[in-house]
Amino acid sequence: MKSIEMQAVEARYNDVDAVYHETRDLRLLGFVFFLISDCILFSSFIFAYVYLRTSAPTWPPFVDGHQLPWFDTSYAALNSVVLFGSGVTMHYALENWKHLNRQAFYAWLVATIILGLAFLGGQAHEWTGVLQAGVTWPGSTMGASFFTLTGLHGFHVFIGVCYLTILGIQAHKGVYTGSKYFGLTAGTLYWHFVDVIWVALFFLFYLW
Amino acid sequence: MTAALLERTIALIGAIVVAVTACVQLKDDWKASGLDAVITKLLLGLMAFGCVLALLAALNVVGVH
Repeated sequence: MKSIEMQAVEARYNDVDAVYHETRDLRLLGFVFFLISDCILFSSFIFAYVYLRTSAPTWPPFVDGHQLPWFDTSYAALNSVVLFGSGVTMHYALENWKHLNRQAFYAWLVATIILGLAFLGGQAHEWTGVLQAGVTWPGSTMGASFFTLTGLHGFHVFIGVCYLTILGIQAHKGVYTGSKYFGLTAGTLYWHFVDVIWVALFFLFYLW
Repeated sequence: MTAALLERTIALIGAIVVAVTACVQLKDDWKASGLDAVITKLLLGLMAFGCVLALLAALNVVGVH
């Protein structure tokens, strides 16, 4: 004999309609193709950066007789940890949704959004420092590569923050249930993807 | 304490915490099946690798020019 709580949990999980069941895998595959296309977009810019850097006589390059400075590794390490931390909180958010723990889901989702915004603020601060150091977009291949790639990534983080906010509103309005939460899965995958792209950029611009 | 040292210290502690948490999540999800689970595990693993890079950068092992 099942307890009342168990029956209630099962009732909340057994709400999958046939259409959702049939289309979920197709939508997931479509979303994965989107992530792969985004990966190709970043790869093309990354290869351009690698080519420019390896073909330059010196790195950082000289501009007007002065060698440009290296980027600030310690600040970037801190900002990277903020973004990676947001990946962990987003994973916890999805896991809590799966386990029907709504309050914890919202708490972790808000933490993810805050960490994402903190990363964007950190990037804005980083850009300010880099510009003050004389590294500009049109001034050198180093600046052009840096601002293009980190700008593209920052744009993805901004879109991700908007995306997660919309997901939170949708979840609050009852769009997702214990069994139907593909949007949340896609949001989590997107956020992890943005994290992993930063791993590559962090290595290329600050550690290489 | 200089700003750089403070940044490295926070990054070091944060990288350890995040890397351990990511590894725990990876372990918990290890037996999960399906395309989304496989991609999540791959991305979590790469994120843990990123934490190791951040940790090494905070310790001045890599990224010293």
